[in-house]
Amino acid sequence: MYTAKDVLTDKFHTLSPAISVAEATKRFARVSREQERRIFGMIVTDPSGRLLGMVSMYDILLFIRPKHVQVWGGMEDIDVSGLLDMVSERARSTSVEEIMTTEVVTVTPDTHIMAVLDLMLRKHVRRIPVVAEGKIRGMVYLSDLFYFLVDRLSD
Amino acid sequence: MASTDARNTLSDVFVRQAMRSQIVFVQSGNCIAHAIRHIIKYKVNALLVADEDEMPLGVVSKTDIIGAYYAGLPINTSIDHIMVSPPLYCHAEDSLESALDLMKSMGVYRLFVPDPDTGRAAGVLAYPDIVGILYQYCRSCDRSLIRRREVLDIADDIPRFLVLDAMTPCVVSFGEDRPVAEVLEGLCAYRFGAVLIRDGTGLPKSVVSKTDLVRAYARNIPLDAQVRVILAASRVYSCSEKDHLEDAIRQMVLTDVHRLFVHGTDVSEMIGVFSLSNAARIRSGSCHACVSSRIRVEDA
Repeated sequence: MYTAKDVLTDKFHTLSPAISVAEATKRFARVSREQERRIFGMIVTDPSGRLLGMVSMYDILLFIRPKHVQVWGGMEDIDVSGLLDMVSERARSTSVEEIMTTEVVTVTPDTHIMAVLDLMLRKHVRRIPVVAEGKIRGMVYLSDLFYFLVDRLSD
Repeated sequence: MASTDARNTLSDVFVRQAMRSQIVFVQSGNCIAHAIRHIIKYKVNALLVADEDEMPLGVVSKTDIIGAYYAGLPINTSIDHIMVSPPLYCHAEDSLESALDLMKSMGVYRLFVPDPDTGRAAGVLAYPDIVGILYQYCRSCDRSLIRRREVLDIADDIPRFLVLDAMTPCVVSFGEDRPVAEVLEGLCAYRFGAVLIRDGTGLPKSVVSKTDLVRAYARNIPLDAQVRVILAASRVYSCSEKDHLEDAIRQMVLTDVHRLFVHGTDVSEMIGVFSLSNAARIRSGSCHACVSSRIRVEDA
C-alpha cells in the first residue's frame, strides 16, 4: 500500500510568521533558484517547528490585487507601475502572519496515497504538509503525486 | 419639475450593474483573530457572517472589531458576540439611488444583495462600487475630462466638480505621541475612516486608519501605547481642494487608498478629507454635464 511517506519530499522551506511579505517574496525567489523548481507555497512555523499556516502564490496575489479593482474597468490607460510601488511599500510593513492561510489541510505519513489524492482534488490544494506527532515530516506536491502515479500506471 | 431636477447620473442605474458578486464571509463561531486575517487578506471593510449552509446571519466590520479592541475583548472571542445582525439588504433590481438612500439613512457603508431563490447572499454593494459605475460612465463620455485632454483643441467650457464640492471639510488629527486609545476614540467619535497623525513640529506625518487599528489589535498592541508604534504608512496621500473630482478618484485608485486628505493653498495645511464614499454620495460623474443635459445613462 502506498502512503504519503512514499511520495513526500523532506526538502521544504519554512517562513517565520513575523517576517514581512517583502522578505517572504524574496525567499520564494531564492528557494526557487536553489531548488531549480518554482515554489508556489511555503509553510509558516513557530520557533519550535509547529505548523502555523501556509503562504501560497494565491495569498500573495491577493495581497497585490488593488483594493479598488472594480473601479479599474474604466481606467485602461493607467500605468500599473505606480501601483506596484505602493504594493512594495505595503509589503514591507505587512507580516506573513497577516496574510497566511491558517486552515491548512495536513496528512500523516501513513495516510493512503489515494486519500491524499482525494484531499488535494477536493480541497483544490497543490501541496499538503505531512505532519506526525506535531512535527512536519515533509510535503506532498501535486506534481510529485501525479508523476508517482503516472509512473506506476505505465508499469 | 421637481422630479426632473432630482435626476442625476445614477437615476437609471440598478444595483445589479454595480454590485460585486464576490463576497467574503466567515462562518459563525470563528474568532476575531480569524476575521481580522480575512479583512487584511481580502482588503475588505466588513465580512458577512454565515452559518454552515452559507445563510447570512450578520456582519462584522472593522468598526465592530476596533470596538472589541477598545473594550479589551480577547482576540479569540467569537465573532458572534460582536457582529451586527441581521445584515442589511437591497435587491438587484432596486435603483442605485434607492440603495444609496438606504445606506445613508441607516448609516451603513454596504448592503448585501440576496439570492431570491436560496436566501444566500448573491452580491454586495459598497460605495467604491458606485464610484466604479460613475467613473465608467465618465470615461465613455465625450465630455469627460480625460477625453478633453486627449483632444486638446476642444474648448473645455463645462463646469466640473472639484474636490471642494464633495469633500468633508473637517480633519481630525493627533500627535504621534498620543495613546492608541485616544486616537481610536477620536476616529469613532467623528465616524471617520482615518485620522491624521502629526509629528512633533505639527506637520502631517502619517495616517491611522481603521485597518491600522485592526492590525494593532491582532498584534496585541496595548491601548496605552503611543500611536507612533502602529503607523504603517510613511506618507500622507493628499490632493488640492481645487483638483478635479476625476483626478482625485484616479489618485485614490492608483494609490490603493480609500481617502485623500485635502489641502488648500498651503500644502502642509490639511483642510478636509475626500473619500470614495464622498465621491459616491455626489451621485454624478466628474462634471455637471450629466445633470444639466439630462443625458440618459444606458446600460453598460
